[in-house]
Amino acid sequence: MKLMNFTRRRFAGLALGAAALLSGTSLSMAQNMPAPFDNAGDVEIALVRYLSTGDFFQAYLTGVQEQAKALGVELRVLDSRQDAALQADMVDQAIALGVDGIIVQHGLTESMTAAVQRAVDAGIKVVAFDVDVENEAVPQIEQSDRDLARLALEQAIADNGEEFEAAYVYVPGIAPLDRRDETWREFKEKYPGIEEAAQFGTLDNPIANSVANQASAVLRANPGVTVVFAPYDEFAKGVKIAVDEAGLSSDIKIYSADISTADIQAMREEPSAWVATAATNPELIGEVSVRALAMLLAGEDPGHNVVVPPTLVTRDMLMEKDINNMDELSQKLPQFATTDVAKPDWMPATGE
Amino acid sequence: MTLTVRDLSIRYGFFALLIGLALFFYAAEPAFMSVRSFVFVFQSVAITAILALGVTGTLVVGGFDLSIGSVAASSMMAASYAMVIWGWGTVETVMLCVAFGLFVGFINGLIIVYGRVPDLLATLGTMFLLLGLQLVPTAGRSIAKGMILPDGSTATGSFDPSFLMLGRSRLFDIVPVSVVVMLALAVAIFVFLEFTRWGRVMYAIGSNEQASRLAGAPVNRYKIAAYMISGGFAAIGGILLAARVGRGDVSSGNNLLLDGVAAALIGFAVLGAAKPNAFGTLVGALFVGMLLQGLTMMNAPYYTQDAVKGAVLVLALLFTFAMTRRAGS
Repeated sequence: MKLMNFTRRRFAGLALGAAALLSGTSLSMAQNMPAPFDNAGDVEIALVRYLSTGDFFQAYLTGVQEQAKALGVELRVLDSRQDAALQADMVDQAIALGVDGIIVQHGLTESMTAAVQRAVDAGIKVVAFDVDVENEAVPQIEQSDRDLARLALEQAIADNGEEFEAAYVYVPGIAPLDRRDETWREFKEKYPGIEEAAQFGTLDNPIANSVANQASAVLRANPGVTVVFAPYDEFAKGVKIAVDEAGLSSDIKIYSADISTADIQAMREEPSAWVATAATNPELIGEVSVRALAMLLAGEDPGHNVVVPPTLVTRDMLMEKDINNMDELSQKLPQFATTDVAKPDWMPATGE
Repeated sequence: MTLTVRDLSIRYGFFALLIGLALFFYAAEPAFMSVRSFVFVFQSVAITAILALGVTGTLVVGGFDLSIGSVAASSMMAASYAMVIWGWGTVETVMLCVAFGLFVGFINGLIIVYGRVPDLLATLGTMFLLLGLQLVPTAGRSIAKGMILPDGSTATGSFDPSFLMLGRSRLFDIVPVSVVVMLALAVAIFVFLEFTRWGRVMYAIGSNEQASRLAGAPVNRYKIAAYMISGGFAAIGGILLAARVGRGDVSSGNNLLLDGVAAALIGFAVLGAAKPNAFGTLVGALFVGMLLQGLTMMNAPYYTQDAVKGAVLVLALLFTFAMTRRAGS
């Protein structure tokens, strides 16, 4: 999960436009697929979004579009732009349109539970990504925030030993950050040698700039800090700015979660304190969402919790394999680009 | 002339508060009192202060500019786009962004002066417009070196090192360039508003537009110019932001707007001016910056910061409106 600006709505006309372009479908693989995909052009699915602004959500949408195209199904994108009531209305709209399946992407449990129940009652298959709709019939697509935090922290301990002074960037009340925080607390208990010298964080926009200002003050007040755990890439970017400005790039190591092309560039800088990040490929989550829905439609069971596993990306990997952007990351780290999660034999792969 | 206690507190109360706070933070966290620490306070407020100085220009003519945050955000995107995708150099990029800011200010001015749309509504409109438009060229993606473009190709340009210097290098190894830019702009706008005929006319328009018009001042042109100043300053803020962060982040810039306006309003109280003024704006921005830095060093949780900002603003406005009026009556 990537965080975004919580106060702003933005136009998503381009996303809708792109989705419209994709509605011309290919039938190439139709022969080998079970019903209803033997006639995939007649299958229509809807993506009902709560969050859409930012790289993460853009990439997620790409993944959904690619997999829908590979299956040859019609995709409709409904974007509520952080309006919880509108998102619930959009589910009803999708029901009225007679779609076969719905992917709910983020949203609030309170507003979505009833709407999703109506869809299930109408015989529509539903999967949900990163929102708990409290429904046994609805598989939950998840990236594991706990695994993300665990991968990054294990790397921190591998690099720095079990005793170090750390600064921690955290803003409570944001679900994925809260889940990452649980792991951080477990690690502190497990390794009493980790001393949390300072905790800070803000979501003031632009986040990286605001966090840089805070980190600067924190690093001066706590000169003994050698590790910064910043489990969200905007936080890590901000800390890196502060570390660079203080000339401490070789004395401090930053561990984070999430990744983007901009993050890869920041990690590749010479020198860079940002040594590792754990990330789940948002495009992959988009593909898995569609695949899980397709399995439901074909009468198969993807399981109630469909977890897309994260990958650890270190600065050394990026340098060794000369990775400069997300595309190259997918090409050169195959575990980042593909997963067997929700992938029965008949499922067509993307990119053909 | 003797000054009463009230006069003194109106004029210098704010400075007393500033010094008192600095001493308090020093006692709590000795690292607070160092040259680096002070330089850092300046650096942390540089961008906000530049926006605040710009909006001071519109406040002086009795207007308001809600679009500065999104102008800064758009300017950051424009700078990144020009460098990463078109491969432009530093000079052209900076000129493009400033021209963009001036243009937005010009449009704001036209809408307000000739379209007779109230300032808050007009600039609210441009704010939303820019928030959307800035995302169009990249289809909602942030801009960074090596990014994948909407058409599937990879961007070939990168940030010019000399451009990044604007946000990252330091004069004499201590004063960041952004702080120098902030101080230069502060001096420029201060001299302009306080010591030139144009500045005086702008204040005159702010206090009584009708009278100024009857006295023969070209009110419309001055008002448009004021919005161009705030647009231009906001664009410069955006350039420095892009140079510091080193990428074009998708962001609303709303916090920049709010912090900038807060600094300008706090500035009303400085030296008992009770009106928008460039010096006060700068002091107001530094005051907020110092508070936030001290609180962060003391490990205060993030939500205290907004509360403290709000309290300072209310206090400053009380200084301005309640005390000065009583003193005058």
